[in-house]
Amino acid sequence: MVEILEESTGKDGRRVLKVAKEDLVQLMKELKGQGFVHLSLITGIDRKDRLEVVYHLQNLEKNEYIAVKTETLDERVPSVTSVFTSANWDEREQYDLMGIVFEGHPNLKRLFLPESWVGHPLRKNYDISKVQYINMDENGEDYATFDPGDGW
Amino acid sequence: MKSGDGGVLTTTLEKALEWGRSNSLWPLTFGLACCAIEMMAIQAADLDISRFGSEIFRNSPRQSDLMIVSGTVTKKMAPRLRRLYDEMPYPKYVIAMGVCVIQGGPYNQGYSVVMGVDKVVPVDVYVPGCPPTPEALTYGIMLLQKKIRNETER
Repeated sequence: MVEILEESTGKDGRRVLKVAKEDLVQLMKELKGQGFVHLSLITGIDRKDRLEVVYHLQNLEKNEYIAVKTETLDERVPSVTSVFTSANWDEREQYDLMGIVFEGHPNLKRLFLPESWVGHPLRKNYDISKVQYINMDENGEDYATFDPGDGW
Repeated sequence: MKSGDGGVLTTTLEKALEWGRSNSLWPLTFGLACCAIEMMAIQAADLDISRFGSEIFRNSPRQSDLMIVSGTVTKKMAPRLRRLYDEMPYPKYVIAMGVCVIQGGPYNQGYSVVMGVDKVVPVDVYVPGCPPTPEALTYGIMLLQKKIRNETER
């Protein structure tokens, strides 16, 4: 049995559960067994001192929603790809834009930005003043560059 | 009149070529974001741009004269846009449609959007708006035609 740290109700009546990140995968397994078979999306929130990850699940038979929250201090969260296969790209997106490292993910690469991009743009401490550009090499692969005069 | 005496035939031919080019602008089928919806409206029955000879949105850049950049140009799209522009034959023209394309618009503080497509390709006519009305884009095409016919002051 998983220890729920905090349970509340959202504005639309959906339950919001908060768990420690060590219990996350176990809780997701239990919720999937209860009928929450659809992982709608994964949200990442930057609280400056910690990172918060929210998983939105849907029960397709009863048309119920539930949100599972967890937070981390060291940017690391266990991956739920073993429970929900669709979490693969959602977690890659969170890693790309928020810099959350999902441990146990089979293919944790950037989803949108090229691999050579520096930093994670949706983090609060991302330096927007350093403009990065994306260029394309002969093979059609993207690469990032800091030089605005390079290429185009 | 571009050449000296006796250049009557040449200048007339130039004028004829410019007239021909300006009245057969074939745009490239190239929509990037919501402005493309307004761009589609200019070829529909209400604001029919075939009145100006540009009815056919060509599907290949090798057959088109005009690129209407309609919608936000992201940094990932910019090299692809440049490649499409390079594949168009001369003479070629570019219309920048909407504020996103002109200077970034609402994404001006963002990390992923090119601040103006004129950093990527040379632009002939800017059509501001968010999005511009189809009438505004039609007017932009008419301005471009005047520019091709050397009727406007730069």
